[in-house]
Amino acid sequence: MDTTLDTPAKTFIEVTEVWVPDGDRLKLAEGNYGGLEEFAAASRRESFAMGEGLPGKAWAEERPVVLKGFDGSYFKRTEAATAAGLTSAVAVPVFDGKTLKAVLVVLCGDDDERTGAIEVWHEQDGLLMLDDGYYGAAKHFEWVSQHTHFPRGQGLPGGVWSSETPILMRDLGSGYRFIRADSAAKAGLTTGLGLPIPVPGGKTFVLTLLSAKGTPIARRFEIWDARSARNGAANEARLIDGICAREGALWDPDNAGNERVVKAWQGAIGRVLGTGVPLVEGGKPGLANGYDSMVALPIHLDGELSHVVAWYL
Amino acid sequence: MQKLVVIGAGMASGRLLEQLFEANPDAYEVTLFNAEPRGNYNRIMLSPVLSGEKSYAEIVTHDDDWYAGNKVTCRFGERVVSVDRERKVVVGEKGEVPYDKLVFGTGSSAFIIPCPGHDLPGVVAFRDLEDTTAMTEASGTPGGRAVVIGGGLLGLEAAAALRMRGMDVTVLHLSGHLMERQLDEAAGYLLQKDLEKRGITVLTKASTKMIQGDGKVESVLLEDGTVLPADIVVMAVGIRPQVQLAKESGLEMGRAIVVDAQMRTSDPSVFAVGECVEFEGNLFGLVAPLYDQAKVLAKTLLDEEDTFKVKQLSTKLKVTGCDLFSAGDFAEGEGREDIVFRDPARGVYKRLVLEGDKLVGAVFYGDTADSNWFFGLIRDGEDVSDMRDTLIFGPSFQGGATADPLSAVAALPPEAEICGCNGVCKGDIVAAIEGGATDLAAIKATTKASASCGTCTGLVEQVLSVTLGDEFVIPTVQPICGCCDLTHEDVRRLIKSKELKSQPAVWQELGWKTVNGCHVCRPAVNFYLLADWPLDYQDDPQSRFVNERNHANIQKDGTYSVMPRMWGGMTDANELRAIADAADKYGAAVKVTGGQRIDLLGVKKEDLPAIWSDLNDAGMVSGHAYSKGLRTVKTCVGSDWCRFGTQDSTGLGIKLEKRLWGSWTPHKVKLAVSGCPRNCAEATCKDVGIICVDSGYQIGVGGAAGMDVKEVERLVDVRTEEEAIDYTVAFIQLYREHAKYLDRPYKWLAKVGLDWVKEQVGDPATRAALIERFDISQSVYQKDPWADHVATRRRLYAPIADLTLEAAE
Ligand SMILES: Cc1cc2nc3c(=O)[nH]c(=O)nc-3n(C[C@H](O)[C@H](O)[C@H](O)COP(=O)(O)OP(=O)(O)OC[C@H]3O[C@@H](n4cnc5c(N)ncnc54)[C@H](O)[C@@H]3O)c2cc1C
Ligand code: HEM
Ligand code: SF4
Repeated sequence: MDTTLDTPAKTFIEVTEVWVPDGDRLKLAEGNYGGLEEFAAASRRESFAMGEGLPGKAWAEERPVVLKGFDGSYFKRTEAATAAGLTSAVAVPVFDGKTLKAVLVVLCGDDDERTGAIEVWHEQDGLLMLDDGYYGAAKHFEWVSQHTHFPRGQGLPGGVWSSETPILMRDLGSGYRFIRADSAAKAGLTTGLGLPIPVPGGKTFVLTLLSAKGTPIARRFEIWDARSARNGAANEARLIDGICAREGALWDPDNAGNERVVKAWQGAIGRVLGTGVPLVEGGKPGLANGYDSMVALPIHLDGELSHVVAWYL
Repeated sequence: MQKLVVIGAGMASGRLLEQLFEANPDAYEVTLFNAEPRGNYNRIMLSPVLSGEKSYAEIVTHDDDWYAGNKVTCRFGERVVSVDRERKVVVGEKGEVPYDKLVFGTGSSAFIIPCPGHDLPGVVAFRDLEDTTAMTEASGTPGGRAVVIGGGLLGLEAAAALRMRGMDVTVLHLSGHLMERQLDEAAGYLLQKDLEKRGITVLTKASTKMIQGDGKVESVLLEDGTVLPADIVVMAVGIRPQVQLAKESGLEMGRAIVVDAQMRTSDPSVFAVGECVEFEGNLFGLVAPLYDQAKVLAKTLLDEEDTFKVKQLSTKLKVTGCDLFSAGDFAEGEGREDIVFRDPARGVYKRLVLEGDKLVGAVFYGDTADSNWFFGLIRDGEDVSDMRDTLIFGPSFQGGATADPLSAVAALPPEAEICGCNGVCKGDIVAAIEGGATDLAAIKATTKASASCGTCTGLVEQVLSVTLGDEFVIPTVQPICGCCDLTHEDVRRLIKSKELKSQPAVWQELGWKTVNGCHVCRPAVNFYLLADWPLDYQDDPQSRFVNERNHANIQKDGTYSVMPRMWGGMTDANELRAIADAADKYGAAVKVTGGQRIDLLGVKKEDLPAIWSDLNDAGMVSGHAYSKGLRTVKTCVGSDWCRFGTQDSTGLGIKLEKRLWGSWTPHKVKLAVSGCPRNCAEATCKDVGIICVDSGYQIGVGGAAGMDVKEVERLVDVRTEEEAIDYTVAFIQLYREHAKYLDRPYKWLAKVGLDWVKEQVGDPATRAALIERFDISQSVYQKDPWADHVATRRRLYAPIADLTLEAAE
């Protein structure tokens, strides 16, 4: 674990935003735009009807959507994005049953250095296949992933699929299914966060965020279990797994149920528990361990908010 | 400063050193030996390291800085080879160290089954980082296959982790369900289902015969002959305290190093902590008590008072997404009571075991909220009588949640078939309801569900209720018994549509309110399972009535009756001679029965195997006079002998009996074949009665001549003997597949209607399918229980007084 914090010059994800339904349109709730002020301003002016633009497409099609290359696409903010050097985006709808709670959108810039992966996997004929993914410079890994599929229980996507639980994998290079492992190691990928993306109608989607050391997606990851099956009637969540570049391991070493617990409305994670809507914060003091920004994404499964995953940079 | 030498840098000794340095950093100068080439790490987290969900770096508890900061002399990678207690020195592989105080913390080693091939490369245990790395490397082979021997905590964590790593994994478990020491059958069933959902194959009752391979592991051979290809075999069948060194140094030993409550061994300068100790006859295998020991030993070493006590333990499995918890004792026993809560829709099972006013055990699957609270109640032996009624809902119970009787139906996936006759799925019915069909009649009209035999009516109503909520009122129904909320018909349908193939599966998925059913529902469920899944389900003799269990009718005076089969009522001189001899030999009374058989009455229990054996030798098999199954086929003498005979009624009767014997049915089944309408075989009051006529065969069904007397109704007239047999077999299979347990055919016919039955057996394809399923079932069940029992269980029937024989064996 590298405890010294060399804030990386470049991060894999440049912009993260949350769009929430307001009547029949999606409005911007919050966003972290780094220094991209003009793109931020353009976004604040925007709103999306169902089916419109990237967030509207994720809403209408009830699935996560990866979009690479905005030119000539349905993307609505192409001009501002291009000016800001953003080239790709992933929209993740957050459904609670049939109700859309929000759409989380992340945008990335392209160059030869940024390595990482944001992948969407979907089930087809009993196997998880790559729907699409954004890999930055990890071209070989992209190719390998396109030619990999995961049966139930195998690898990060297969594990998430069969356990219906977010999973945080370490040392991606040293395992994670033979073929991807080797390539993942070469691409410098270290930590992988996989999460189920429940959608109406029961189709299976798994989202994975694979973070590399040089251009990390995050330097701290957390998985919070909020299911009543773990917490009883209390509206709270416990930190079942996590890893932090500064604090190290964030889990209960005795496997004895003594995890950190937050109640609804307690801090950032508590807010997500309370609202059921993703949260994006940037440039604010008071985040865990002095991080600059954080994203917390709730997962609604079987009629309740089951988990919150959070990543910090 | 005194010199403290510690052998083993494990979890227990690690905690000891922490406590010691915290209390008094200057009390001892410590030398720490460890056979593993590293210091202390969190061994329990090797499982997530194996799965990739933790890194080794994360689980290191004491790094080089920590040892340096506490001035510990580390001799890692060096095994201690002997201890000279006289000279007070420890001899390591690289030299001696003197001690004032010595601590054994050598832990355990994995137990390896000494079967042939256990020493082949590729057979690994799961104990340390080396094992973990070996497994990780094995998982790097594309398409690699792992066999994990042992379905306990360790084995299952290894299995799930290797699956995550991309291997094809099979778990072999000797007992009937997984983790039998921590879980009861129902929780074991849910766990198995959960693992199978991850693509892991689980084989229970699987005994390993040998591990095969040329120079390295290639396959595992089971006792039953199954061969499982394997690139790696993980042995996780248990642990043994690692105490050879202590034994050789002459300390007092039991199964491990004997210590007192201050962790002192028989030598006042030598102490022990962790899995290598035995305290008051107990061994240890989980970290919680080891940490208590470490705390006590730290005090002892600092001349302070403390006492180690054995406490209750709880277990959690570290497989992401599997929520299970077990604590205390949950064996069934005198004076114990269970509280069971199941929620099939969420896959939840909770069971509390009470003894008197105390909670003594708990098993939770799928919902482990409040488990620490329950654990506290068990550990502290609290009186729970005041909250007994709501105990299972946990500490924050507000008076709301109760088991939802509809949850089994709510849990059905849309593709589950509700109406077997017309192939209507739950999804179709829900669609119809959403399309405006809001009562049973409308559902029948739009989907045809429940429009034929009607046995699925209850389920259709439940789907209506689940979909419409309180807008639909379900007519009250009679559940099987107090154990569940479903009728026989519902249970039968759900066993089929949810593919439930074991009793625990039925109890769990259909929300049984008791642990194992009762004397009412168990025989019924046992029958439904064996009728629907002859190849998958194993008949459970414990779920049978006593006569069936004993394969004989117990008589008024406690003796048994023995009745051999006489096919179609035919016998011969040899059989009669054997019967006469048997009657003489065993002092039996002889009675000719109403079903054209000879019954030997008054046979003593201990003579049963001998008399069966004698009759077997004369070519006779059990007449099943006791079973819910085919009893007798009566015939008249027919065309062979009788002037009026139109067909060979005797021949047909024999053929039918040979085809049908041994099959279990919802209630007893009696047949008869008469050679002409004079009906000497009294066929018209049988479950199936065939009257031969010039033009062929008239098949009647649903007769009775008991408390109710009923004449058969005509099922069909056929031309050939072959058709007569086909229709009979198909009718009986239809009855087996659909009737409520303990309904004779006439009662069942009254419910489903003869027309529906005619339609089913009348359709050639349906008829052929029914016959095929019957024959599959017979391939399993048509065997003579006498021969079977004489061969396998003879000594069990010896009189109790003869126990000396057992001892001599
Ligand atoms: C994969 C796995 C998962 C587990 N999960 C859990 C869990 O979830 N919960 C739980 O409570 N428990 C769990 N356990 C059990 C727990 O790890 C043990 O109870 C605990 O580690 C025992 O501690 P110990 O100090 O007695 O022995 P160990 O931790 O085994 O330490 C003994 C050390 O002594 C060394 N040693 C032995 N002989 C010599 C010698 N002659 N010279 C020098 N060194 C020697 C060994 O190399 C070893 O490093 C798990 C165990 C494993 C393997
Ligand atoms: C003194 C003790 C026992 C007596 C007197 C006894 C007697 C009998 C008798 C008379 C039968 C009927 C056999 C037949 O008609 O074919 C029977 C069947 C059976 N016995 Fe026992 N038995 C004893 C102990 C046991 C024990 C200890 C077991 C189990 C470990 C056992 C398991 C069975 C089973 C499973 C059957 C029926 C099997 C089947 O239905 O296929 N019995 N026993
Ligand atoms: S039933 Fe008819 S054929 Fe049979 S014995 Fe009687 S008279 Fe003869």
